[in-house]
Amino acid sequence: MRDEIVRVLLTKAEQDCHDRGVRYIAAKLREAGYEVIYTNFLYPEEVLNTAIQEDVQVVGLSSSTLGHLPVLRHLKEGLKEAGREDILVILGGIIPDDDLPRLKELGIEGVFGPGSTMEALIQFIEARH
Amino acid sequence: MFDARTLEEDERLKDTWQAQFAGVRKKFMGDSEYRAETFSGLPVKPLYTPADIEHIPYAEIGVPGQFPFTRGNYPMGYQFMAWANQPVIGCGSPEETRARMDYLREQGMTGYFGHPHFNLVYDLATHGGFDPTHRAAEGRVGECGMSVYSMPTMAILFKDMPLDKMNVVHITMNQTLPILAIYIAYAQSRGYSPDQLRGNSMNWYHTYNVASGLATFPPLACDKLAAELIWYCTRNMPKWNTTNLFGYGIEESGANAYEEIAVIVAAGMSITRRCMELGLAPDDFLPRFGFQIAQGNDFFEEIAKIRALRKIWAKTNRDTFGAKKPQSMQVRIHTHTSGAMLTAQQPLVNLIRTSIQGLGAALSGVQAMEIPGYDEALAIPSEDAARLALRIQQVVAEETNIVKVADPLGGSYYLEALTASLEQKAMEIIERIEEKGGFIKSWESGYIRSLIEVSARKWKEKVDSGRQTVIGVNKYEMKDEQKVPLYKIDPETEKKQKARDVEFKASRDRKRLDSAMKSLEESLVAFRNGDNDHSLLPRMIEAAGCGATNGEMMDVMKKTLGWLNSAVLSPV
Repeated sequence: MRDEIVRVLLTKAEQDCHDRGVRYIAAKLREAGYEVIYTNFLYPEEVLNTAIQEDVQVVGLSSSTLGHLPVLRHLKEGLKEAGREDILVILGGIIPDDDLPRLKELGIEGVFGPGSTMEALIQFIEARH
Repeated sequence: MFDARTLEEDERLKDTWQAQFAGVRKKFMGDSEYRAETFSGLPVKPLYTPADIEHIPYAEIGVPGQFPFTRGNYPMGYQFMAWANQPVIGCGSPEETRARMDYLREQGMTGYFGHPHFNLVYDLATHGGFDPTHRAAEGRVGECGMSVYSMPTMAILFKDMPLDKMNVVHITMNQTLPILAIYIAYAQSRGYSPDQLRGNSMNWYHTYNVASGLATFPPLACDKLAAELIWYCTRNMPKWNTTNLFGYGIEESGANAYEEIAVIVAAGMSITRRCMELGLAPDDFLPRFGFQIAQGNDFFEEIAKIRALRKIWAKTNRDTFGAKKPQSMQVRIHTHTSGAMLTAQQPLVNLIRTSIQGLGAALSGVQAMEIPGYDEALAIPSEDAARLALRIQQVVAEETNIVKVADPLGGSYYLEALTASLEQKAMEIIERIEEKGGFIKSWESGYIRSLIEVSARKWKEKVDSGRQTVIGVNKYEMKDEQKVPLYKIDPETEKKQKARDVEFKASRDRKRLDSAMKSLEESLVAFRNGDNDHSLLPRMIEAAGCGATNGEMMDVMKKTLGWLNSAVLSPV
């Protein structure tokens, strides 16, 4: 059992489509005892600002139609500058295999593609908190 | 529907069958009952006989081409002409998209009466109203659709094509009005008048937000925008199909079969009422409505759903709105076989899924078909995947011999019983939405979303627990899966489209453009304030003719009408 409530920001670009998955995850994480904030954003800095202002421990970005790399790059650099590299960044959705090396360079290990289960996601977060 | 002798005989034969079946069941299941259900949760019996449809008046089934059109809109099925091949096309630059259009034409893609027919999807940046140079378009130019947003980009796409002899479907979301305006302005620049144009505006103002999660104008503004497009086209574009009711998006976001048709009929009713308020008669505009409907994996339920939809739409338009023309009551369907049922795992298995779904759509008697590529859970389809998807349609149409008989499944005890159940379930939801004040109120209150999300969740839990098999995901998984080559947008596309945008914008007559944009903004303010003089479309066309882009027109629409993202409109 955790002794603290983990706060998670789940977010998706407003110009990316298909939010069925991320909204499902938001509901399930809440049931599992997480505090979940769900937002849509237009620009990458909105993700960074919300993550810091809301003092979350995890940021989950949902992406189904690409465009996630510039957002993640901005987020990781911003977290570093703010001294908040402790915030775990994960990615879910349709992520091309070709992106995996670049994601690794960015320090993003949690990539949840099609067919991922809630159990796997929760285990991943628990192992790091 | 049957005489007493038949029903007696049915009773007798069924008793014997029951005893035999019970014996087999005992072997497999002991004393447990046989329980089964459709994907939407309707109970299914192990056998259907005349007794199951005895309560249905024969006229409710009837013959193809007659009210309530359960068995199809027209007296013929596909005897003289198959459905239109309507694959979704849209990838990268206008040049890349045009190459795909030409390629699929060469491979036999055919519309009605042999005319070219192009079903074109715009990229996500354009849907949201962001031209390629806009910062919010970064990394999204030409992704998931084509980067076409202005007169010059349309000119590349449609170069030398006879606009009056082809059908063009513009798959648009928020930008339906600006894109139609740009298309008209482009056509006018080539000497065509609006009344010569054939094709379709999706006019999905009611549904793209709940279906896809994209940001949107406020719901009430959406209702008015949709009706305004219909008002303009009814008067100026008699060959243009004004509205596509997007059931597909509703099912793909998680709704079950009867929820899909209920939600989309409720949306159609909202638009119809709004058009009538504008002074249009139902028979003036309903004949130009169509539907995009999903064909998912529950083979019979998906067919029954289409038959139930035909009945509901016909009855609603005749009895609620007083429509008289058969065309106002008929459901013209563009099937989109399910994208949500495709798997990223073992992608070639998707060819099998889509073949079965395509067969189901043909057996439902639909008018047009899109079958996604086997790789579409992963990316925009490759040329290979797009060709094979077209081949599925061609095999079903030309090799199976199913096209010789109209509605070959009509009269099936199971199918007719299921059709009646789905009609009843859908009507219950339509009535609930009506009680809540109609579609717009139910959208604003979150009711539509919650309906969809409850079903989406049930499905995911069934798959995660293994109660629902999805091959490659929870059964028959493979360690070393065969990789398929994926289509990639030319990495230079975004750069090129940006440079093109800068160059085009600098070349315009600024004074003329500013004046046209000012006049458009005045029209929008009046429209918002309920002082609608129907100048919105004409002024948009004027602005587009002066070089206004989709992004520029969307900006002024957002500014005047408001703009909501999904997390704000429907919090989780």
